[in-house]
Amino acid sequence: MTLVETNPAVGEEDRPVNLWRDAWHRLKRNKLAIFGLGIVVLLAFVAIFGPYLTPHDFLSQDLQARNQAPSLAHLFGTDDLGRDVFSRVVYGTRTAFLVAIVVTAIALLIGTTLGAVAGFFGDPYDRVIMWLTDMTMSVPNLLLVVVINASLKTPIARWMETQYMATLNPFYRETIWIDFFLVFGSMAMISWPPYARLVRAQVLSIRSRPYITAAMALGLSNRIIMMRYVVPNALGPLIVSVSAGLGTAMVLESAFSFLGVGVNPPTPSWGNMISDGLRVWQHHPHLLAAPAAVLGLASVAFSFLGDGLNDALNPRGTK
Amino acid sequence: MTAQDTKERLLDVKGLTVEIDGRRGPAVVVDGIDLHVTKGETLGVVGESGCGKSLTMLSLMRLLPNKIKVTSGSADFDGQDLQKMSARALRKVRGGEIGFVFQDPMTSLNPVMRVGDQICEPLLYHRGMSRQDARKRAVELLRLVGIPGPEERLNAYPHELSGGMRQRVMIAIGLACDPKLLIADEPTTALDVTIQAQIVDLVKQLRSKLGMSVVWITHDLALIAGLADRVVVLYAGTVVEDAPVDALFANPSHPYTRGLLASIPTLSDAPAARLSSIGGTPPEPGRRPPGCPFAPRCPLAMDICRRDVPKLEPISSEGSHRAACFAVQKALKAA
Ligand SMILES: Nc1ncnc2c1ncn2[C@@H]1O[C@H](COP(=O)(O)OP(=O)(O)O)[C@@H](O)[C@H]1O
Ligand code: SF4
Ligand SMILES: [Mg+2]
Repeated sequence: MTLVETNPAVGEEDRPVNLWRDAWHRLKRNKLAIFGLGIVVLLAFVAIFGPYLTPHDFLSQDLQARNQAPSLAHLFGTDDLGRDVFSRVVYGTRTAFLVAIVVTAIALLIGTTLGAVAGFFGDPYDRVIMWLTDMTMSVPNLLLVVVINASLKTPIARWMETQYMATLNPFYRETIWIDFFLVFGSMAMISWPPYARLVRAQVLSIRSRPYITAAMALGLSNRIIMMRYVVPNALGPLIVSVSAGLGTAMVLESAFSFLGVGVNPPTPSWGNMISDGLRVWQHHPHLLAAPAAVLGLASVAFSFLGDGLNDALNPRGTK
Repeated sequence: MTAQDTKERLLDVKGLTVEIDGRRGPAVVVDGIDLHVTKGETLGVVGESGCGKSLTMLSLMRLLPNKIKVTSGSADFDGQDLQKMSARALRKVRGGEIGFVFQDPMTSLNPVMRVGDQICEPLLYHRGMSRQDARKRAVELLRLVGIPGPEERLNAYPHELSGGMRQRVMIAIGLACDPKLLIADEPTTALDVTIQAQIVDLVKQLRSKLGMSVVWITHDLALIAGLADRVVVLYAGTVVEDAPVDALFANPSHPYTRGLLASIPTLSDAPAARLSSIGGTPPEPGRRPPGCPFAPRCPLAMDICRRDVPKLEPISSEGSHRAACFAVQKALKAA
């Protein structure tokens, strides 16, 4: 057929790979990003399998061997109750990932929904949602968390107690759930606004692109346009900010633990280990150094990975 | 009644007016346009860039961006007014009965979706096809628009295709549901000349094969010559001349049309010669002069032109050729 273009515009457009594979190729060339990715993968592995592999139980106390310096038997030494710090750091990794993933997921869900609605449907939703976002951001984070904790912890604990009395279900005896619930909830409450803003800005910019008009001209529903045209195009920057957000959430959890509103002992978290360690660091520096170093490493790794993804997902960024 | 009127009108636009809400208050961009397309006909809509061609077509389908509104007029499609239709019914028309092809194939396809999926989209939605059937149909469509190796191309992302290929994909999407009308808004402007000719040929072939009506928008009068049955010339959001294509080229009447024709390059033309054929640019919305909108650029402008707005009136005996110009009407009376 004469219609066939035998020689479609050669060169720059003839790339036989798709967007994600392209991004992966670009990411592989970025050493810092690969370093970050390696650390993140390692920590994730530790979080999942670590607690089964450690030589000691993170709770078992050995009062004969308290506050020992690092040795072969106890790689990171022992704490004031004679618990193995290495095992606790390993278990803390699980806590850190759990907090980071759950908090980021909740924040992302809230932020993405609100941001997308604000950007896509405009006023009056936009005005209300942006007002809410600004409000939330203008209250100091730690203040908000302390208030949430102070006002909710006791009532919830009391409610759990009555539930236990009524049902004798041991689930209600686990006060650990209250901690997690409050920590997750309050951290998510302060973490969603940046996602809402980012998604809104993305949606606003994408909404005016010709392919959105083209999709509307096809008679597709708003929901489909949103899910298949707007959101996937907004994903790049969102992935980047999620990666950075995971690291931030880990640091945030530590800050909360330090203030006594984080995950509580005996569940090890890097945060409560750091906060315990801070009290005795002049005498037993390893109690501070071990969790702090791992937290620092995780935070740096997520930030490197985020930056790398940012470059990799933006084809125009690299020639 | 003229010959045109007796044929059935597929699209019949009356008094369509579009306004932009600007900082200096509302400004008219499309000023009471009348136009129609009969079944199987190809209508060329011509005018310089900024004359309101795109906004006219977008407003028909109620696809205007924020702050731009249709303030009056009707657009009957197959007997129903698109302007009054429920949003749900309109969605059925969009993509189902009226296919759209946009100007820029680089930005009008979703960059993160495989082209096969983009072709399937209207089939899934309008035809309720299964994904498998839709993909089969997508292969057919890609073959129809002359894309080699359609099975593999289905899995390509837009950025893996050349501009011409992407425009073919756009056309395939526009044609997916066998629309009665295909509206193509400068579909070749972003392409280079040889590819332009191929796309024009393709649409000509498909039109007769599928028996659909076509509205082809362009700023390039030459492109229309071999393609359209009838031509509407737009200037500053008004129809200044409309005529069967042969009559228009044989006897261009409105000074603007004649200016556009003079800008069609012939082989002997130096590029400089065609640029100088009409001085000036169309008025911006909100800055249209009173009287004839073309008056500031018109070599024939008279006093009345700056005072009164000329009406579109028949200038041929059977009435199918019309122009909105005092000078033309005066010459006609004198003859
Ligand atoms: N989104 C918009 N906002 C403001 N003005 C616009 C917008 N789109 C088009 N216009 C103005 O409306 C007029 C007509 O535009 P358009 O229909 O795109 O012209 P054409 O398609 O004939 O080149 C132009 O003067 C343009 O500046
Ligand atoms: S009406 Fe007057 S100004 Fe307008 S095109 Fe005709 S002659 Fe020119
Ligand atoms: Mg246009």
